[in-house]
Parts: sequence; C-alpha cells; structure tokens
Amino acid sequence: MVDAARHPKVDVRTYTEVERVDGFVGNFKVQLREKSRYVYADRCNGCGECAKVCPIEVPNYFEMSLAPRKAAYVPMSQSVPLIYNIDMDACIHCYKCVEACGKLDAIDFSMEDELVWEDVGAIVVATGFSHFDPSVIPEYGYGRYPNVVTAIEMERLNNSAGPTAGNLVRPSDGANPRRLAIVNCVGSRDKRFNPWCSNFCCMYAIKNAVLLKQTHPDMDITIYYIDIRTPLKGYEAFYDRAREMDIHFIQGRPSLIAEDPETKNLYVHSENMALGHAIEREYDMVMLNQAAVPQPDVDTVSSVLNITQSPGGWYMEYHPKLRPMDSPTDGVFLAGACQGAKDIPSSVAQGSAAASRAGRVLHAPEWEIEPVVASVWEDRCISAQGRKCGVCARACPYGAIQYEEGKAPQIVVAKCHGCGGCVAECPQNAITQLHFTDAQILAQIRALLADRPEEKVLAFRCHWCSYGGADMAGTSHFEYTANERGLRVMCSARMDTDFVYEAFRLGAGTVLYSGCHPQDCHYITGQRVGSTRADRLLRAFDRMGMTPGRFRIEWISAAEGDKYARVINEMQQLLDSIPRDQLLEEIEQLRPQMEKRARRMREAPQVEEALEFADRLKAAMMGEEV
Amino acid sequence: MASHTSSETFADQVRASPGGEKITRCFSCGTCTAACPIQWIEENYNPRRIIKMVMLGMKEQVLSSPVIWLCSACDICYRRCPQDVRISDVMKAIRDVAIREGYKPVRAVAQVNERACSSCGMCVQACPYQAIELTPRWVTIQQVMRQQRALPKVDEFLCQGCGVCTVTCPVSAITVADIGDDRVVAQIREFAQETGW
Repeated sequence: MVDAARHPKVDVRTYTEVERVDGFVGNFKVQLREKSRYVYADRCNGCGECAKVCPIEVPNYFEMSLAPRKAAYVPMSQSVPLIYNIDMDACIHCYKCVEACGKLDAIDFSMEDELVWEDVGAIVVATGFSHFDPSVIPEYGYGRYPNVVTAIEMERLNNSAGPTAGNLVRPSDGANPRRLAIVNCVGSRDKRFNPWCSNFCCMYAIKNAVLLKQTHPDMDITIYYIDIRTPLKGYEAFYDRAREMDIHFIQGRPSLIAEDPETKNLYVHSENMALGHAIEREYDMVMLNQAAVPQPDVDTVSSVLNITQSPGGWYMEYHPKLRPMDSPTDGVFLAGACQGAKDIPSSVAQGSAAASRAGRVLHAPEWEIEPVVASVWEDRCISAQGRKCGVCARACPYGAIQYEEGKAPQIVVAKCHGCGGCVAECPQNAITQLHFTDAQILAQIRALLADRPEEKVLAFRCHWCSYGGADMAGTSHFEYTANERGLRVMCSARMDTDFVYEAFRLGAGTVLYSGCHPQDCHYITGQRVGSTRADRLLRAFDRMGMTPGRFRIEWISAAEGDKYARVINEMQQLLDSIPRDQLLEEIEQLRPQMEKRARRMREAPQVEEALEFADRLKAAMMGEEV
Repeated sequence: MASHTSSETFADQVRASPGGEKITRCFSCGTCTAACPIQWIEENYNPRRIIKMVMLGMKEQVLSSPVIWLCSACDICYRRCPQDVRISDVMKAIRDVAIREGYKPVRAVAQVNERACSSCGMCVQACPYQAIELTPRWVTIQQVMRQQRALPKVDEFLCQGCGVCTVTCPVSAITVADIGDDRVVAQIREFAQETGW
C-alpha cells in the first residue's frame, strides 16, 4: 500500500466516494466526492498531537469496538496516507487540536466535501466483503454471552498491535482462556441466512487455531465443522499440521451454546459424528467463524457502475469460468471478494488479472467490440416524426440508447452489447441488429418450416444458455425428437413477437421460447425484457383459443441438456396427442390473426429479398426447378 | 430416452410422501441430533442417521426400527436446521411409508377398560388427534348380563400416546401403557422419598 502511494503513476484517493459514472469503455467520466477530513492533506505530517489532546473517546471501529479512539484519529496505525481526520459526529468543538497543531495549521473546521470530475479509461471494482452479524442466531448467544466472540474480534484480541497487545483474554473477566471452541459455518451454508459456502473460513479457523496453539501450547482448542474444505495447494498439509499439534476437530454443527451464569463458561452442544451421538463440552471462550457477506452498499455501487449482482448480492462476472474478472459492462473489471467470497491468493490472482485487463484498455488506441450492435432506420422511427415513444431506450440494459423526444434515438455503439432487446421491442421495426436482422431471422424461420411445418417443434434459443443446453443435450447423447428445429438469437430479448406470429402463420406445430434463467442472463436484464414479452404472447394465444402447450416458455441453462431434451420431447408428445385434422384445422383458423399481427414486420427493409432467397433455397432443397 | 429411468428407491418413496420432499437437502451437519431432547434420553434415536439411512436405501432397517416412532414433533431441530428440513415432517413421511408397507407403530397407545367405562364420551372430546370415537359394542357385565353400549375405540395409527384421555376420564377407564395412574403415583412417591419431602 505504501509502495502504491509512493508510485509516481499511482494516485491514491482515500475517504472518497464514486458518485456518478458517465461515458463508456476508454472514455469514462467519473464524479468523485472527496469527503472532508477537516485536515489539509498536504499540511498534516501524521504526528498525532491532535489525537493526544482530544478529550473525546468513541468506540474504535477498526478494533471491533474493543478499544476506544479519539474524535481526532487515524483509522489504524498503518493507514495510507497517514492523515488525521476529525470525526464531526463526536467532536465538541473545543479546538484543543487546532492549538496542538500549532504552526502546521493543518486543521480547518470550515472544510466541506468536494465534488470533482475525472477522466478514466477503465474501472476496477475491488470493494471487498463484509461480515455476517451472528447475533441474529439466537441459539449461539452472540451479544448476550460476553465470552462468545466473532472471528474478527478474536483477530484483534490475538494481535500484538491490538487492544490487549496480543494477550488473549476473555471479555467477561479478563482471564486467559484455557479451553477454546471455534464454530465454523456461522450464518453460511445456512438457508435461513446465507446459502453459500464462504470459501476461506475452514482455513481461517485452522490458521487461528495454529497461531494460538503456538503461543499457548496448553490451550485446548476444538474446531466444530460440517465439512473441512482444503482444496488448494498446501491447504491439506496445513490441516495435517493442525491435527499433529493436537487441535481437536469435531464433525457436528453446534445446536446450542449455553452459558453458566456464575462462571460465564460456555457449554457447546453438538453431535459428535464419529461417535454417533450428541455431546456437551465446556469451554472458557467460543469463537464464531461468521459468514462472508456482500458489502451493505452493493446496491448503490452496482447502480452507479451499471453492473449486475449474482444471487445474494455479489457482483456478477461476465462469464464464471472464462472471464471471471470482467463485469458485464465493458471497461469495468472486478477484483477480489466483491465478486464472491475468496481468500487472499485468489483475490491477488484476480486483482492482477483485472489490472492487466484494464491495462489493455488503456494501451489500445481503438477498442474492438462484437459486431452484433443495433442500428436505427431513422425514416421508420415515429419519434423522428414527432410522436412520443422511447420504448427502445427503456428496453436497453446498458443505457446505450440516448433518446430525446422528437428525434430518432442515438445508439452509443461502444456501450451496445447486441442483446437485441430494443430491436424486438420497437413497435415500428425501426431498429435492426447487425447479423441478426429481421429479414435474416424471418428467412430462417421460413426455411426451417419449409416442409410439413405442422410436425415441427420450432425452438428459439438464446446464444448463451438454451443454445448451450441444446448443445449439451447433443454432446451428452440425450435423445430428442428429430422434428425439432432450432433458431439462435443472442438473447431472449431479441425474440420478437412477430417471429412467433410468423412461425404460427407458416403453420408451425409448436414453438418453444427459451432463454437463460433470470439470474444467469448475460445481458443484465435482457431475460426480463424477453420473459415479459413471452408472457404477453402466451396470454394472446390463450385468448385466440390455441391449444395450451403449442406455445411454450422455458428457461434452460447451458448445463441443463437433460431439461432441453425433456422439454422438446414433451412438446413432441403434445403434438402426437392432437389429431392431425384437428391441428390443421386450428392452424387454418388462426392463420388470419397471425397474418394480421406479423404484417408489420414483413414491411421492414430487406425482408422481401430475404424471403425470396429463402424460397429459392427451399425449392433447391426439395429438388424443384429454380 | 430420458436420463432418469430408474426404479423407485426408498428415498423416492419417502420424498413422495407428504413432508418428505426436502430430505435430499440434508448435508449431515448433525444440528438436529444435537438439539433433540429425545436423543439425550434415547441414544439410538439419531435423526441425522435416520435420514442418511433413508438416502442409502436401508429400507428394512429403518422401517423395522422402533426409533422412527419416537419423534414428538417439538420442532426444536427445525428452528435450527441450516437447510430448512423439517425433521418432524420427514419422520411423519417415513412412518407413512412404514404403515403402507404393513409395519405397525411401536408406541404406547391408549387402552380402554370396557367394564369400567361409563360411556360419557369425555375422552372423545379431549383427544387432540381425534383418535377416539364411540362405537356400539356388546359387553358382558357382572359375568351374566350382556348389554350393548357405546364404548370408546382407539385408532392405533392416530393415537400418539399423549395421555390426555387418561387424565380426563372421570372413572380411570382409559390408560396409556407405561404411564398409568399407579405408575405416576409411584414415581411421585419415589421422588418425594429421594428429596426428603
């Protein structure tokens, strides 16, 4: 940290919040709020005279409130930069600090927050994680029993720079504990609080036990666990070492921690799985190894940076295996535990990867993007003709569409990721997506339904999930009906109502509308745009009197090959169960309505030519004269 | 064709019974066993082990075991289970399977002394499980008279052996084995002697 602060090309801004981010990859504009310290950074030399004379004491957040600090303070002794700060909520304005500061004249009580704009090329988010508060688990008694402490409190109590100078004492009477229990998975792997495994706590429990055993060889230390997870290099060896040091491991999650009101000793009830029955053991002190949880302000930060969250509130990566350090927004990268609970080696690796990714942006004179971006036909846009619209801008998950009333929308190409949500939402078909134009997709639908369409299962699949699911069904040899015809678009948001109407107009037997599960969507909220539209379609077909199940909506991930095969087979079974005459009659009956609804898309540019091409292709395939 | 085409396992049977749906969530942490007040009295009753045995398909051992009838549905474990498994519901599902397979509940049920009964019907009203109903039956009184009277009939599957009927009965004509009036009185005497009252 000190190295970074001294580096000529690194500008460290502490006590500063990001208020707003505008622009796009390579050209971000960031608004920063530099919070007022009431101390001039360039004058303060960190001597600490102000803190010495300050008469006010408040709980020290860094010491987990186990020690006091003054109202004039630094967060911790190794703070970088070492600049003192006046806590205005606690200050009584006695001005003793101003006197003590003397000639340096670094303290100014009239200082105010400053808002500054900075131009940046790339952003790395490394906001870390927070700790679960175990007081909401009543059976563990944290907050009621003084000798039940959290892992971070233990960390301070056992630290030579901590409030007790490294002398481990228990809070109730200041005695040195001789028997210590460490309880793992407090609030993690728990459906009531946080369903995830917090990743590093097993190693953390073993580390604390080994550290304590080294300084207190007589201490009886027991770790209660559900499973011990030591997956990385050298971790298992460390676990071996802990057992050799006579640290006890009991498999069994405690169900109750009870206190003796006189001695303040604690009784831990658990099952000992090796023995197969419940046990009760007495300890002087219990450490709760609490879950890692996302920072409390993740919602604010993710809306400022336009990045999504995985379930639970961790920031969403672009791809869990191949691009774990990229966020869905180009030029914004993720490092460390803000993306998911992880230990120090993994955080360092991800941080280095994110930095090199960011460096790539900064060194590139030009930035390549996927070519599947949206583009506007201004002459078809009703907004350009002076009517109110803006549907496209509302559908865009990336804020890439700048919409002004009375003008055709402008697409910021660098921000567009090519989900196609705006294209499908536009009521006038005035936007198209390069490589996935209406004309191209309509031609594909026509070709796929060329021969005996009433026997076909036409599947719209999104590129990232359902298409992968179909692929998985294939590579896993899950058989499904040969009547399936798949059509790929980038996102379920691109699956226009007109495509489905056109498919039924051509006489498709059944149509599947498939995409990612909502939390997996690669286009932030693209799936939501698609699913809202699909529900609308389903209701429309219901009103028309279509046999239920001929239009089906399913969210299938790339790992669910079995589900893809099952869904397609179920749709085939449905087709088999409808008598052919009845099906053909229904198709004929609904055709005029479908025709009416699909009409507008057929007027879109290039559609005629594409359809003609599809017809010629179909004729060639059928062996007819061209 | 489909990937799941195996015959129904014991775990499937339990999962298909109401209450047994969440059984696969259990990751054997042992919180339920440690929390269970019955486990502290009867060491052989271990809910975690019973669930594991169900998952491993040890049908005969589980269904013939007397301990599956012990859960009193106090739900102390349910409040502490990190995987949101309601053990009392799972036990109920296992018992349902046992009954369907022809096993009899191993627990004390209420028994009626027909000759002492006055047919007042208070036990019927008192039973929280609706396990008792009055049915007309012929009884022999004083070895000579035969008379048709409405007598309580206990459903052995519904009865949980709680003993509410025993304390309600004004003529002590219905008792639960093991906790009859005389045995409770004997226990009180013993306790009084020990504590020197």
